[in-house]
Amino acid sequence: MPLLEIRNLKAKIGDKQILNGVNLTIDRGEVHAIMGPNGSGKSTLSYVLSGRDGYEVTEGDILIDGESVLEMEADERARAGMFLAFQYPVELPGVGGMSFLRAAVNARLREAGEDEVDQLAFVKMVRSKAKELGVNDDMLKRAVNVGFSGGEKKRYEILQMALLEPSLAVLDETDSGLDVDALRIVSEGVNALRGEARGMVVITHYQRLLSHIVPDHVHILANGKIIKSGNKDLALEVENNGYAGLIDAA
Amino acid sequence: MPLDLLREEAALCRDAKQAFLANGLPSAKSEAWIYTRLADVPVNPSSPSDDEVAAENGVLFFADGWLQSGADDLPDGVTLSEMRDDASLSAFHAKLPDAHLLSHLSVGHATGAYVLDVTAGAKISSAVQFVFSASDEDYTSHPLIYVRIGAHAHFKMAEIHQSSAPLSAPILVIDVAESAHLDHVKLQADEPQTTHLALSIMDVAEQAQINSFTAAIGAKLGRHETHANLNGEHIDMSLSSLYLARGSQHQDMTTRMHHFMPNCTSNQVIRGVLDDTAKGVFQGKVLVARDAQKTDGQQMSRALLLSRKAEADAKPELEIYADDVVCSHGATVGELDEMHLFYMKSRGIEEDEARAMLIEAFVADALEEIQDEDLSVILQNAVSAWMMGEAE
Repeated sequence: MPLLEIRNLKAKIGDKQILNGVNLTIDRGEVHAIMGPNGSGKSTLSYVLSGRDGYEVTEGDILIDGESVLEMEADERARAGMFLAFQYPVELPGVGGMSFLRAAVNARLREAGEDEVDQLAFVKMVRSKAKELGVNDDMLKRAVNVGFSGGEKKRYEILQMALLEPSLAVLDETDSGLDVDALRIVSEGVNALRGEARGMVVITHYQRLLSHIVPDHVHILANGKIIKSGNKDLALEVENNGYAGLIDAA
Repeated sequence: MPLDLLREEAALCRDAKQAFLANGLPSAKSEAWIYTRLADVPVNPSSPSDDEVAAENGVLFFADGWLQSGADDLPDGVTLSEMRDDASLSAFHAKLPDAHLLSHLSVGHATGAYVLDVTAGAKISSAVQFVFSASDEDYTSHPLIYVRIGAHAHFKMAEIHQSSAPLSAPILVIDVAESAHLDHVKLQADEPQTTHLALSIMDVAEQAQINSFTAAIGAKLGRHETHANLNGEHIDMSLSSLYLARGSQHQDMTTRMHHFMPNCTSNQVIRGVLDDTAKGVFQGKVLVARDAQKTDGQQMSRALLLSRKAEADAKPELEIYADDVVCSHGATVGELDEMHLFYMKSRGIEEDEARAMLIEAFVADALEEIQDEDLSVILQNAVSAWMMGEAE
């Protein structure tokens, strides 16, 4: 059974139709890249997948392990194993980083019927994972994302992903706002989480992220539909020729 | 125990009562009461009782507006006496605004009236608590409290209101002499069906430092009106507050920050959380007199609405006659941020828990204005208890 199956997904915000029938199947262990020009529906797809309010699915279905998640709230989907790394991670003034991370991990554990984490052991674990991702202690002490640089926010997203160990990770424009060094650190963090246990959807405008996180499959999204799929060479084709030719051919 | 009741003996009280009877409650046209309408308030002050109440160190315990215990256990440098006649009442009375509802209502129906003196230069490290309670639910409470803090003294006080009196209408006047430090918190946690109408006056001399914070979580209707008069130079004043209301509660925070002299700083942070059909009011006026150059006066009010039927009214005002000042004010009213909630939910945190964490963050930010740790804990505990009720 596939990990994720998106069937003829159509969605709109208000009166604006954005997704026009997306089909996509992802198995565990696979990394799929979704590329597309601005306005093609990439971020909408990530929000609809993760269950943000305000997006209306007008047709089609999203199945995780064969079960439809359309009726599930964002938090239920997350506890079912989905994770969205935000393009613009959200600042939460006054919400301490450690209590935020612990609340998220405990929510997963409760769902699984397991005991909540021991506070001291948790702090220790977070520190060790944070260190690998170049997230320093000071960032862990601050309010979530408040005062973080763009690169720090992205690293913090990957830290959360490492702690929550999702079965399906959706990375929305994770490369945006990153310099070369930050891009390398973030990519290494993502690559370390690749494996048979999970599938990943890497959404990006540019090819450069995909030379660090090499995808198994590449899909081109335009006008709310996947117009072409291929292997990693498709990303290079976009890099060299742009989207226009592909869209015209579709 | 006084043989004669102040309110019957003192001409100032009799006049105030006459004025209350003549004027009645503020009309619908009274600008100061435009957002807080008083349809009716019960008035039934008691006489002092002989009930014995065990004294607790550093706690002044009041029932129905009368001091029951604690006067003998105050820290060195702090003494308490009664206002018994016109002569002792007059200095207190002179501090009150003319033609004010509370001046008429509670001076006219005064229960106990007390002066607390802090000796000049005394450094009092433990907080003195004023705890206001009720012996039964018949009597209304009208204590008059006059706190005089001597020059260079350091003093900490907590007003804790946990009364079932149908009306608590305390008047508190605090004189802060030059270079004195005052840490003050007020917790209004009166019983649900009650009305709390408070007037506080802070008269502040040069180089004094005041850190005052009010948390209002109790009563059906609460109004907390504070007038601060900055009468000397180089005063540093923080006057902040938090109100939490649910059901059909109504909380009104009214402040009047009057800068008379140059080179003073005032800061006001006001936060409110309103659920169900609760209503919150913030009226804050900053006045800067012509001589008060180099005034730094800041004021920021934020209300968080947890329900579509909750309401927040804000009237921030600046009235500035000096030309070289830095003053700002602002007021926002809003709901929890949808994107904040979505971000937390996308991590698996349930909606209720996410909301509670965001409300707690909003509230904690205000409580950080309290400088004194001991006083902060008093309010934090009460606020946490309210939040637990929120999660239910």
